[in-house]
Formats: sequence, structure tokens, C-alpha cells
Amino acid sequence: MTSRARLEAFLPLTPPMLHTLVALADGDKHGYAIIKEIARRTDNSVRLSAGTLYALIRRAEADGLIVETDDRPDIALDDERRRYYRLTPLGRSVAAAEIERLESIVEMARAKKLVPRSRSI
Amino acid sequence: MSAGGRRPRSRAERVIGALVRLFPFDFRADYGRDLEQTLRTQHRDARREKSAGAWLTLCSDVLRDVTMTAPREHLAILRQDAGYALRALRRAPIFTVSAVLTLALGMSAMTAMIAVMNAVMFRPLPVERPEELISISNQTGEPFALSYPDLQDYRSRTEVLADALGYSPRPGAINVDGTTDRVTIELVTDNYFSLLGVTPAAGRLIQPNEGRARGDAPVLVLAHTYWVSRFGRDPSVIGKVARVNGRPFTIIGVTSPSFRSTESLVRISAFVPAWMYDVFSDTPVALSRFEDRSARWFSVLARLNPGVSLAEARAALDVRAAALARDFPATHKDVVLRVVPETHTRPTPQLGASLRVASTVLAGLAALVLLITSANVANLLLARGASRGREVALRSALGARRGRIMRQFLTEGMMLALLGALVAVPIVIAAMRALMTFMAGVSSVAAIDPDFSVDLRVIGAVFVMAIGSGVVAGLAPALWACRADPGEMVKSGARGNTDQSSGRMRGALVVVQVALSLALLVCGGLLVRSLDHARDLNLGFEPDGMFLASVMPGPQYGAANRLAFYENVRATIASSPDVEQAAWISFPPLGIVGEIAQVTPDAKPTDPDWRPPIANEVDVSPDYFATAHVRIVQGRGFENRDGLAGPPVVVINETLAAMFWPNQNPIGHSLTADGRTLEVIGVAQNGKYRSISETPQPAIFNALHQTTPSIATLAVRTTRPSPALAATIRQVIRQVDPDVSVFDVRSMTTHLDNGMAFFVYRVGALMTSLFGAMGMLLASVGLYGMISYHVSQRTQEIGLRMALGARAADIIRDVLSHSGRFALMGIAAGAVLSAALAQLLQGVLVGVSSLDPLTYLAVAGMLVAICLIASFIPARRATVVDPLTALRAE
Repeated sequence: MTSRARLEAFLPLTPPMLHTLVALADGDKHGYAIIKEIARRTDNSVRLSAGTLYALIRRAEADGLIVETDDRPDIALDDERRRYYRLTPLGRSVAAAEIERLESIVEMARAKKLVPRSRSI
Repeated sequence: MSAGGRRPRSRAERVIGALVRLFPFDFRADYGRDLEQTLRTQHRDARREKSAGAWLTLCSDVLRDVTMTAPREHLAILRQDAGYALRALRRAPIFTVSAVLTLALGMSAMTAMIAVMNAVMFRPLPVERPEELISISNQTGEPFALSYPDLQDYRSRTEVLADALGYSPRPGAINVDGTTDRVTIELVTDNYFSLLGVTPAAGRLIQPNEGRARGDAPVLVLAHTYWVSRFGRDPSVIGKVARVNGRPFTIIGVTSPSFRSTESLVRISAFVPAWMYDVFSDTPVALSRFEDRSARWFSVLARLNPGVSLAEARAALDVRAAALARDFPATHKDVVLRVVPETHTRPTPQLGASLRVASTVLAGLAALVLLITSANVANLLLARGASRGREVALRSALGARRGRIMRQFLTEGMMLALLGALVAVPIVIAAMRALMTFMAGVSSVAAIDPDFSVDLRVIGAVFVMAIGSGVVAGLAPALWACRADPGEMVKSGARGNTDQSSGRMRGALVVVQVALSLALLVCGGLLVRSLDHARDLNLGFEPDGMFLASVMPGPQYGAANRLAFYENVRATIASSPDVEQAAWISFPPLGIVGEIAQVTPDAKPTDPDWRPPIANEVDVSPDYFATAHVRIVQGRGFENRDGLAGPPVVVINETLAAMFWPNQNPIGHSLTADGRTLEVIGVAQNGKYRSISETPQPAIFNALHQTTPSIATLAVRTTRPSPALAATIRQVIRQVDPDVSVFDVRSMTTHLDNGMAFFVYRVGALMTSLFGAMGMLLASVGLYGMISYHVSQRTQEIGLRMALGARAADIIRDVLSHSGRFALMGIAAGAVLSAALAQLLQGVLVGVSSLDPLTYLAVAGMLVAICLIASFIPARRATVVDPLTALRAE
């Protein structure tokens, strides 16, 4: 069990870091896949350069939020030359804690009627 | 499909490779391949997409990585290294403090020299486009200046010069609202401020064509510093009348705060149009100085036309100089122009070249001291590194790369050096302020006020220097860490590897340090001994028991009144108790200011190449020769009859007599000095006039009663020098005329110490001794470091020997003989180096040979003692090693 205090030490995450962790939430990915996933999900509003991404990965690895994994996806999708990264349980908790933090801010803003309670589509 | 072999890399791949290389080494090792792969895929996708948008995105990504991500990664690692280095340094406070102080010592010397060089050679004048300013001077003969008609001629070379200005500083007295200040006033041509592009802080400045016509209303511009110190920035001073040497001038403005003047040594308090020259001289010839081509009194600066090179200007001006030489062979035959950037002529065109050399040599010495300092800290780091072997081994076992550990040591060296610089800069700022205050007090005839301030340029240079010396300091331990075998180090702990070659390097380093400090100390010692001898030297007068006080009655008095004033003061002082005699002299010998004259005998030599010699010139009252104990060897000295009404007479010295009338009696002959024809009535013994190491120089003594100079110094011979005498002199002068200010009341000994006589020796002795003492201190620290290292490497061997019954004395003797070898080698090398260096000093040494055995032996003995002490401490420590502990470590 990760203590609350330990999680808090990582917060707040920078938006690129949060996006990276979220991108890995549904499965292992290599660097380029992470970049593409983030661009796709944010409609290209968040774009990580290759250098920025690997700088993030370096920090996340050092902090134990992600690890390099030896497991490979389907042989058809696999690219031998690339390294794949996986979200650690700590990384998952940190990402969740950050999202909770953001949600509480959103809640506060709603209570003060800064944003509407819900949006109609 | 593949043809085999290596496919040439495409341009895109080369760009990608270069981009990856921008990232730190550690980063590349971990992610370089992935980064490269990702970039390659991105590039391939963009090419496939064939849309401008895709390319634009890729380009902006790459740009972001180049300008932000890569530098940020470097910074992160640097911060990490710096943090680690600081923690490591904090863990060893004694080591850190001693290393920082050692570096600060070396850096202070270097920083001080950089500040001096900045003032002398680099700092641009705070004017418009200072890089366009050049100096034009005549490099033959004295005083390196140009005449007014010459200045106008060169000014007309409009194809290379935009314009040229002239200036000439003069001592003067300014009286505003009843208070008189003695200041230095710059006489400037009308275009001075407009050419430089100086703006007024208040009022207006001298305009082109202002004061050009005779009889123009006299105007004066205040220098900003003087406006602040004297008038407290009062703007109402503009429009007021200032009496300069008694004549009224209207104050029209104040210069901008950043502009001091074009003088770099003398403080200027006010600027006056050069045409107002007559205020500073009441001789009727004054105005012809603007027509006389032989009256060279302007220092000249010119502004180059845009795009004109110095060489082009030089060529054009040389053509003009050649034309002048043809037109005026009598005065211009020998003129050789010196056309150089303005920064090369500080403080004066005459001294510029030699001062550049002198300050570069001194800076070179200081750089050597700094280099030795850094090498010393390298030694300290190495000695410490030896005890950090286990830590290094552990770090590399934990996965730190060699490169990273190496960089760690370099960072440590650099942190130490930067801390050293942080300590050194405030010390130097304070020292330079003290130096400027000291120099300002040297003489009040001219306010010496060089700007040695430590500006951003100096601080920038210091930090670049700190980084360099940090690299020097950190390199040896970094290389050591890199070559060390971690397994061996974990095993042997403190000892690390025994690197024979690095041991030899360090030994050689100590030898060099000892040699260099010996050389510096020997030079310092020789100068100190010279100073001692110089004080006993025959100066041609007797300085002991002489007291001086200068006054400036100014030209407003008129010759007769001034003479009455001088005579009145002299007679009153001469009758005071304890005073044997008193007399007046225009400028006392060996001061900072002196006068010279071109002299020609009545029968001019027929040799066409003969040039009239330049003689030192002073005006003295009749009692001077007796007061100063100057012997008259032939004829007579001055008497009261040699006054304004009598025929113009002169006393010459033995050298001039031998020059003009060899084997003849010069009495009754006549000579011309700067246009005045004088009858020789006597010959005085030779003396020293400008420097104590000069060869016998010609000199002429004018009768003060005939020349009535507007500035003069009272020379008093006392039986009992006492501080009360100064008060008496001031009081007497105040009684005779309260308007005349008295300045520079001092004994002749003080005058000699601060003047041309001994000042150079004192500064030289101080600087070389200071550098020498620093070198010695550093050499002892270096030796200490080396012996500590040596001992720490031999702990087990020493332990073993002690266990086998060796006595402490044996061990100490062993260690001392090891260090003694280096010290003796250093001293031997140093003695040779000193002999060579001292040869350069030959010209200034007085009464002591450059191979003076006493100096050499004393310095060598002192160094041996210091070396022994420095190595005794670690030697002693070696003997307290517990044999069991040492052996167990094996």
C-alpha cells in the first residue's frame, strides 16, 4: 500500500507527465506510440517532442513510476528495436492521485459556479 | 537486395545523429538509440504524409529539443553534480576552506591585474563609438604631443579622419564663492565634446568654434565628479562666475556622469577652451603657442571615418607628416607619427606602450601564480581523492559511469574555483579602492585618480578564469578517478592505485612552484635592497633635514607682487627657530611633475645632424643651492641682483657644461632655452632630476626672481625636523596672504618616497615580494599536499617498518629527505631562473648586483625552512600510525 504522503510528494505532475502516465494506463507502449497516443487523444493540442518524451521517461523511470518491460505484444505488432514501458503500481497510484487532485479543483470551481455543473452535448 | 557494406547516411540521418549528440552523455547512453529511432520514424511518417503541416510539426519539435530539452537535461545533471559536490565539500570543511582560500589568493592577484589591465588597455572611453577613436602622437622626443598648427593639418585629412581634437591638462586654481580649490583643468579644442559625443548633465558644453576668437567670453565646463563633490549637484552653479587663476570664467555646464575625461591617470575637474591658455601662463609668448610648430603641447585624438582602417589612416597621416617634414625641416625633420587605437595610449601617449608591456608582464606573473594555485588545489583534491577511493569505487559499483565520476571531480574543482572567485572579488574591490585612495594622496600637484574599479567586464573575466582554473584543479583527480580500478580500490580502500607517473608529475609541479617563488622572492629582495641603497645614494643634494611646502599664487598677482610674496614668506620662515635656511624652487627634483627645455649654446655646432638637447629645467631663488646643499663648482650662484631688472642669467650643471663647452670655461657664454637667451654665470654639481637610475642628465637653473613662476615650492633646511614646522609654514603663508593655498607640505624624504625617486621601487618591491610570498605559501601547501599523499600511500609500509622496530626519527628523516630532494631541485632551478630574471632588473638596481649572494642565500634559506616545516607535519603524522591498524588494512 502506498502511503498518501509518499504520493503527495510527486504532486502536482506536469501535464506532459500526467499524459504520459495516462497513455500507459491501458497497456505497455514504446516511446513513439506514447507520443502518437497523446496527440490523438488530445486532438494534437498536446504534442511531445521526442526529446521531451525521453526526458520524461528518464525521470519517471528514476522515480519508479514506470519500468521498461521485456514482455512483447503480439509478434505482428512488435518492433524488436524499441523498448516498451509499463506503468508501475506506484505510477498508477500517482496518476490517480493527480487526477483526484484535479477533480477536487474542478469541484471547487463548480461550487463557485466558475464552470457549469454539467455540459449538454 | 542489400549490396552489403555500409550505406552512406542520408542528410536526415545526419541531422538526427547531431540532434541526439546534443543531449548529455548519460542521457544518450540510456535513451540515445530510442530517441534516434523515434525521430527516424517521425521523419518517415512526415515524408509519407507529404503535408506541410506534418513537416512543420516535426521541425518545431526538433527546434524545441535543440533549444530547450537538451539544455535543460544538461542543466539538470549539472545541478545534480553541483549539489553532490557541495555536499561532499561540506563534509570536509577544513579541506574546502583551505582550497577556497588558496584559490582566492591566486585569483585576487589575477583579478587585481585584470582590473588594472582593464583600466589601462581595454575599458572603452564612455563616449560615442569609442572603437573609432585613434591617438596621433609624435613618437620621437618629448613630450609625445603635437603642436596646434600640426593638429589642424592632420585634421584636414578628411578622407580618413572625421575630425581630430586636442587636449592638454594644466594645474590651476578655481575659486567660486570665495573658496579656492587646486585642481587639474583640461584645456580642450572647441570640438572636444562634439567629437566625443559627450552630453551635458546640466547646462551646455563647449560648442564648436566657441572660444576660438581672441577675446571671446571665457567659459568653463565642470566635470561631473567635481560638480558633485564641490557643489553637491547644485544646478544653480551654472551661470555663476568661477575665478580660474584669478580670471573670471562663466560656468556654462556639467559633463555627463559617465564621462571622466580623456585622461586616464589624472582627475580633471573642469574643461576650458584651449584658446584661454593665457590664463595659465602670464608670459607674453603665450598666444604664439597656437602658431608655433615647435610648441608641442596637445595630446591628439581623432575619429576615423566609417569603414576606414587604422592602417589606411596611418598611411594617410604619414604622407602628411612627410610633407610637414619637407616644409618645416627645422622642427619636423625627425617627426615619426605613432597612430594607434586610443586604448594604447593610456595613461599618456608617451607611457602607453611601456605600461601595456608592464601590465601584461605583471598579469603574466599573476597568471602563473594562479596556475600554481590551481595545480595546488589539484594536489589537494588528489590527496583527498586517495582517501575517497572507496567512495569512488562504491559509486561506480552502483552503476555510475566513469564519465560521470570524472565530471563529478571536475564539478568539484569548478565549485571550489567559483567559491574562490566569490571570495576574491570583494577583496579585490576593497584593495583597488585602497590603492586608488593611496594614489590620490601621492601628490596634490596633479590629482592622480586612475579608475581601477572592478566593473562587469572584470567580473566576467574573473568567472571565466575561475572556470578555467576549476578545470585545471579538477582534471588531475578526474583522470585519476577515470583510470582507477574500482575492484582494487574497494579492496585497498584509502590507498587507491599507486600511479608512478602522476607522482612524478606532482613532484615536478612542486619543483616548479619552489623555483618560481624563489625567483619572485629574489627579485623582490633585490628591489628592497636597492631601495635601501638608493636612500644613501648621492642625489646631488642633501634630502635629510629638508622640508617642502608648495604654493600657487597664480598669475593674477603679476610678477612683482608674486616676487614680493615669495620673498616675504622666505624671509619670515628663515628667521623661525630651528630653521637654518629657506629658498624657493619651481618644482623639487624627482617629483612627478618637472619641466624641461630645449637648449642651444651660443656657438651652435656646425654638424648638420646636431639637435639641441633637452635639459631639465627648474627655477630657484638665490638661497636654494645653499639650502639644498648643491655645490657650485664654478662661477657663482644666484644673487639678489639677478632680478627682473638684471640681465637674464642661468646656472648650468656639470653635464651640460661638458656637453656645450668641453675643456672651456662656460662662465660668460650664453645659451638659448626655449627661445630665451641666458648668460651662464655658474656651474652646479650634477644631480638626479627625474629618476635615481638615470645617467647624468643636462640641467639648467633659472633665476626664480627673473621667471617668477606661478607655482613654487618652499624648501626649508631645519636643524630639528618636527611636525610643528608644517604648522608654522602654513601659518606664515596665511599671514602673508590668506588667499594663497598651501599644499603638499611634506618632508623631502616623503616627497622622494612618493615621487619618481622611490615610488617605482616601492611598488616593484611590494608587488614582487607579494607575489613571491604568495608563491612561497602555495609552494609550501603544494609540498604539504604531496608529502601527505606520499605518506598516505606508504601507510602500510611505514606501519610495517614501525612494527619491525624502526624509530619515529628514522621515518621522519626518510620523509624529510624525500621532500628535501624536491625542495633542493626547486631551489637550484629557481636560482638559475632568478639570475635570468634579475638581468632584466639590472637597469633599475641600485648598489646591488643582480647576483647578490646575500639575497639569494637569504631567500633560499627561508624557502628551505618553509619546505621543511611543510613536510614535517605529514611526516610527524606518519609516525603516529598504529602499526597494527596499518597492517590490518592489508
